[in-house]
Amino acid sequence: MATEIARRSRPPVLLAIGQVRYQLVLLLRSPLGFFLSVVFPLLLLVCLKVITPSHPVGGLPYAQWVTPAMCAFCLLNACYVTVITSMVLAREEGTLKRLRGTPLPAWAYLAGRSGSALVTSVIACGVIIATGAAFFGVSIVWHAFGYFAAATLLGIACFFLIGAAVTTVVPKTDTALPIAFGTMLPLAFISGVFFPLSHPSAWLHDLASAFPVAPIAQAMEDCFNPATQSWPMPASGLLVVLGWSAAAIAVIALAFRWEPGPAPAARGLGRSPRIAGRPRHWP
Amino acid sequence: MKERLAGQVPAIVVEGLRKDYGTVRAVDGVSFQVRRGEIYALLGPNGAGKTSTVEILEGHRRRTGGSVRVLGFDPGAGDRHFRERVGIVLQSGGMDAELTVREMVSLFAGFYARPRDVAETIEQVGLAAKRRARVRTLSGGQARRLDLALALVGNPEVLFLDEPTTGFDPNARREAWGMIAGLRRSGTTVLLTSHYLDEVQLLADRVGVMSHGQLVEEATPDALGGRDVSGTVISFRLPARLRGSEPPAGPWDQAAGPAGEFTMHTDEPTRVLLALTQWACAHHVELPGLTVTRPSLEDVYLRITGQAGIGAGDGH
Repeated sequence: MATEIARRSRPPVLLAIGQVRYQLVLLLRSPLGFFLSVVFPLLLLVCLKVITPSHPVGGLPYAQWVTPAMCAFCLLNACYVTVITSMVLAREEGTLKRLRGTPLPAWAYLAGRSGSALVTSVIACGVIIATGAAFFGVSIVWHAFGYFAAATLLGIACFFLIGAAVTTVVPKTDTALPIAFGTMLPLAFISGVFFPLSHPSAWLHDLASAFPVAPIAQAMEDCFNPATQSWPMPASGLLVVLGWSAAAIAVIALAFRWEPGPAPAARGLGRSPRIAGRPRHWP
Repeated sequence: MKERLAGQVPAIVVEGLRKDYGTVRAVDGVSFQVRRGEIYALLGPNGAGKTSTVEILEGHRRRTGGSVRVLGFDPGAGDRHFRERVGIVLQSGGMDAELTVREMVSLFAGFYARPRDVAETIEQVGLAAKRRARVRTLSGGQARRLDLALALVGNPEVLFLDEPTTGFDPNARREAWGMIAGLRRSGTTVLLTSHYLDEVQLLADRVGVMSHGQLVEEATPDALGGRDVSGTVISFRLPARLRGSEPPAGPWDQAAGPAGEFTMHTDEPTRVLLALTQWACAHHVELPGLTVTRPSLEDVYLRITGQAGIGAGDGH
């Protein structure tokens, strides 16, 4: 019966590519996503460069440090903040539920999300590095650029996975942005994304090194130091990044949901009020 | 078409379906079958368990007990081949406001192995003039039409419509009904839920009435509650010449006053009418105000769901 009319499903690669394109179109048409991912870090780069006294950082010009630091900030915005806000919105508006009713596999949706985060991050980093090189005298350290690309890819993957995992605990659209920024900004501050932490207190240092932002940001920053000759991330830092990524994958596998409304444990009779009601733009 | 398909395995088979939410049983032993090419409506008030039932059939919810087969698949298994062959119109939203109508339909067409033509599908739901419009600019009725286009573009064999016209203005409702009736011609099996009686009467081949989680009656819209044969009301007045005489086939209830109206509730309207009209003809009179009315679907529906409510209460 089930094979009575065999329908061969679409090739998975095509589905994933279609999803990347779809997510990029959505991002381009949503001013907030584009602003957060590209404009905001670029704006910060220019502001920080202008207002910060031009004292050297670790023997390097300030711009040489702040440019890769803003690239790390880009990753946090494109792969963590934007992923949380847009995926929670998609879930709460019923888009995920609608997609779940089609033959699109779950992994293809996540591939689309991560692919679009990757493309956005690479473009945003490119814009920032080009701006730094053109206007602030930043020189690209070509012999360490492969390491920079590797650290960037690691950051994209890690931040995306954590972002997707965090969506499972965000109850509704209104809370997505506060939760995303409320967790990302403090961590970025103590992890040396905005200011070089030359002498952080021991406990702050310990706290920051328990999270993946510090090792990734510092590795990206080190790759713009001409003295860097080898992979700049210590093994302990890599372990932290991989550990968080693995934990995030476990959370996604166990708790990712397609239905709007609070987590199933908190759900009452029948449909939640959010499902029963019509979204705002409906009659 | 329907005759040819009638002999086949049913498109949907539901047996003893149960769904609990915590301690509350929302669906309580529901069984029904939908033949291929049939339009089947689940009718019932809010909270009767219609949406839970349909969402289990769609694969969106897990059942607590019973068995369910759609095109031979268990929807709960989440099989991709199952989702290739069904279309789902959700009760609400879930569309990207910043995409255009065409982009949205193309996107969904890309998920399926054998999609319908995108332009043709948009045309069919009457959105051709809006194909370049962003979704956020659509009116409520237009958005629901896009909703239907998204469910149809995968060329489904079974289409689920959960309250397809709730919140529509009368014009939009009529348009939606036209589209759903059009699906009948294409041989698509349709399972729809509704709490509108006129909608069910117009569209459905068969109706299952749900109340308090149970399927309390199943019939064609015309025969619901024995409506086609029972409970017919006959009424008339007597002309002045015959006042005081007793009409045949009684007993009749007579309203107060010499010109008072005679009425009767009968399960045998043909026999009563024959006797009554023969009697009138024999006396060479017309019976003023002679009317024969069947109870409205609404009367029947209220009676069925009201009675069912009492019965189900005892059952728990």
